[in-house]
Amino acid sequence: MNQLFSARDVSVRFGGVHAVDNLSLDIVEGSITGLIGPNGSGKTTFFNAITGLCKLAGGRIAIDGQEIGGLQPREIYGFGVTRTFQRSRLCLSLSVFDNIVIGRQNALDLGLIGNLLRRRRFNEAVRENHERVHALLMAFSEPLARRIFDPLHSLSMIDRRRIEVCRALIAEPRLLLLDEPSAGMTPDETREFMDDILNVRKNNPRMSIVIIEHEMDLMQRVAERCVVLNYGRMVADGTFETVVADPWVQEAYLGTS
Amino acid sequence: MSLLRVGSSVAIIALAVIWTVIVLAAESQWQVLAALVVAAVAIFAFSRMRAGRDLAFTLNDSGPSIIAIIPLAVLVVAFAIHQDHFQLMMLASVLIYGIACVGLTVQFGYAGVINFAGAAFFGIGGYTAAVLGSTGVPSLLTLLAGGLTAAMIGCIIILPVLRTKGHYAALITIAFGLLFRSFLEVNHTLGGPQGLKVEGASIAGRSLLNGIQLGTLEPSFYFNYVLLALAAFTLFFLLARNLEKSWIGLNLDAVREDTIGASVFGINVAAWRIFAFVAGNFLIGVAGALFAMMQNFIAPSNFTFSDSLLMLSIIVLGGIGNLWAVLPAAILVVVLPEKLQGIGEYRIFVFAILVVLVLRFRPAGLFPRSMRQFRREVGQ
Amino acid sequence: MAILFEYFFNGAVLGIMYALVAVGFTLFFGVLDVIKFSHGDVLTLGAFSGLVAFLALQLTGLDLPVIGLVIVLVAACIVTGLVGAAIGQFFVIPMRNSSAFNILLMTLMIGTAIREAIRLFYPTGANPKAFPALLPNSPVEIGGVFLRLDSLILLALGFAIVFLTHWLIRHTKLGLAIRAVAQDGDTAQVMGIPFKQTVLATFALGSMLAGIAGVMHGIYYSEINFGVGLLLGIIGFSAAVLGGLGSIWGAIIGGFAFAALQTIWVVLFPDASGYRDVFAFAAIIVAMTIFPTGIIAERYSERV
Repeated sequence: MNQLFSARDVSVRFGGVHAVDNLSLDIVEGSITGLIGPNGSGKTTFFNAITGLCKLAGGRIAIDGQEIGGLQPREIYGFGVTRTFQRSRLCLSLSVFDNIVIGRQNALDLGLIGNLLRRRRFNEAVRENHERVHALLMAFSEPLARRIFDPLHSLSMIDRRRIEVCRALIAEPRLLLLDEPSAGMTPDETREFMDDILNVRKNNPRMSIVIIEHEMDLMQRVAERCVVLNYGRMVADGTFETVVADPWVQEAYLGTS
Repeated sequence: MSLLRVGSSVAIIALAVIWTVIVLAAESQWQVLAALVVAAVAIFAFSRMRAGRDLAFTLNDSGPSIIAIIPLAVLVVAFAIHQDHFQLMMLASVLIYGIACVGLTVQFGYAGVINFAGAAFFGIGGYTAAVLGSTGVPSLLTLLAGGLTAAMIGCIIILPVLRTKGHYAALITIAFGLLFRSFLEVNHTLGGPQGLKVEGASIAGRSLLNGIQLGTLEPSFYFNYVLLALAAFTLFFLLARNLEKSWIGLNLDAVREDTIGASVFGINVAAWRIFAFVAGNFLIGVAGALFAMMQNFIAPSNFTFSDSLLMLSIIVLGGIGNLWAVLPAAILVVVLPEKLQGIGEYRIFVFAILVVLVLRFRPAGLFPRSMRQFRREVGQ
Repeated sequence: MAILFEYFFNGAVLGIMYALVAVGFTLFFGVLDVIKFSHGDVLTLGAFSGLVAFLALQLTGLDLPVIGLVIVLVAACIVTGLVGAAIGQFFVIPMRNSSAFNILLMTLMIGTAIREAIRLFYPTGANPKAFPALLPNSPVEIGGVFLRLDSLILLALGFAIVFLTHWLIRHTKLGLAIRAVAQDGDTAQVMGIPFKQTVLATFALGSMLAGIAGVMHGIYYSEINFGVGLLLGIIGFSAAVLGGLGSIWGAIIGGFAFAALQTIWVVLFPDASGYRDVFAFAAIIVAMTIFPTGIIAERYSERV
């Protein structure tokens, strides 16, 4: 297995608070890693650090051995990193199609001539992208696929979560960061949703996923490896079973000793 | 079914054309007031009826050829009033302000870049036309130069506009607009407060001041300006509409709605904001140059902060981001004060209150923007 | 040397007026995270209300020196306080969940409506109006420099108001409520602080500061013009931004910084005084480019 991602001694500070504190983490291609820890343990901040949304106070982050720490978010996207957000960040006034196709930024022709004047070719590009978006939506939910040109604000919260994952998936990322994708879903919906994501992954088996989740059943089922954070530090790393058995984790996360 | 939809849309547009002719040609203020009431009732009714939705659908989801409806409708109006200098000049002004507001729509409606200095960029275009007028540069090139100068001078404030957000960027454009006007007032090489004379436009060696002969008709020379403004408006409208229905339009929307989400998905937020700002200022500059040529005269008092607010009023009243709303709203803001002498003096006061009320109770404007769909492109 | 001191002194009077406006912006932004751009025109309204009160006093023959000033100030405060609270109640609070631009444009348009209303409905409102000399303007000698007594009093008055505002925010129940709402409106509401009343009180308070600044402006220049609010509003807002939006002392420092810049321009280029406004606007643009979030950085966090 090739190593895809590597973080070395990554620190993020807000004022005097060490939100992420000397965190090191390696991820191999095609793996699923669960990131768990209590609220405020630095999970989302770690995602923000990876995607360039917050400044590193120290440490290095690399994809394929190439340093991405300190780059702009849009440059990091170019390395094949996409994500979802805990509080969904979609464009409410745009259609489902528009929201998802944004994820294919690098594949879209953004030239002035191509967009303003060569409309026939542009329309072909629309058709091609429509096929892709539609196929991806079908993998999640057929009724949702039928609503491809509905405004996003008319969708339920759960459908919006699906759209957000679709936007991240359509870029065919190498590293997909899912920040509590199932928040607000019932356990059944969560299971179905995760199965759909794993199904889509079959087309892209080298993609690695890091997932933040509070749903322990889900973690047990999908995560090949679990990493536990507390106060921005890694306190455990291993399979779900070993991690859960760790007394540190019991105390820090599950609140029992 | 689709034919029925198009039919009702054509009927609405025909009514709008008749309405415009009546307002432009109205002799008494009561006629204008009555027309206003009719329009208010009609807009209210159509926005609740199927016909209104059909019209929005026809305009937004048809191919580019639908744009032909603009020159068609404007020409009908122009022929109906072909002998009256003043009415034709108003029509040309509506089209010219329309060009500027297409520019503002690209900036603010699409990319969310605030520009409270519209009148300043309009003025830059006008002063460029004044300076170039005596040098014998062809008029069409002068228009281009007006746009380019406005776009270039706008680049001075790109850095502060990009570095700051929301309110702050607004403050910078306000400061720039006021700076421009104060500068003109004290700078004597550009005529100071008295302003400058501007050479009229001429195309292919023929001055637009010479009227043209159309069969048996001998229209006023302002007819020529209507034609020129109409050609420019239609061209820019077509380009802006294609822009909206393109990946660029999609990126601009994403930048406006959520810069963080956009940047994480590889969108170059700064580059698109610069693009929208520069492109918008270009259109506003072209409009200003054309306006100056038509008026033959410009002075700093044409380009005040209130004029910037009036331009913004057009896009807010019409419906932010809706290109089709630009012309109707421009008629409202440009023509009414001229026709209702009673409110001439009060026009800024009246429009300020009107804009406040629209923002408070109908923030999407009289004709809200329709969501972009690619149904037609994918054959649905 | 004496001339320089005179410039310094005049700059200080200008600075305290800018500071009063800037403090208002800071208060509004603190409680509601909005910029109320009508603020500058509320200032003009304050000055004109004071003028009307004075004219009314004159008619009744009660224009005694000290009482005159007090009544003019009170009239300005009542009108601006009411108008400020009304703008908050009817326009800003109902709109606080819409986009920042909509609020901005709306308050700008409200300001425009006020400005135009003064121009149109005040008798010959388009022309500058003489403002009564409510304070003795005899020269006073301090260390060989002659200063106008009224300017000295204005400066002292301005500082007194600033300290009073600071005391109000720090040591009264209302101030506590304002600070709580500024920290976190929702939490404050849960803790039993009446959100709406607090916001309205803040709007009234900030607008009164503008009203006082308007009267000071009128006395200092001996005239008042319907359009002064636009410029003062923009300078006041820039000063508040420079001071980091949210800190009263920052706003005051910002106000003095702008006055200092303008004064320095006049000292350095006395012949180019026509370009004074051009310079002021250019200074705003440059300052915002260099300090986009203020000299004292605004507490800024984007939740992701």
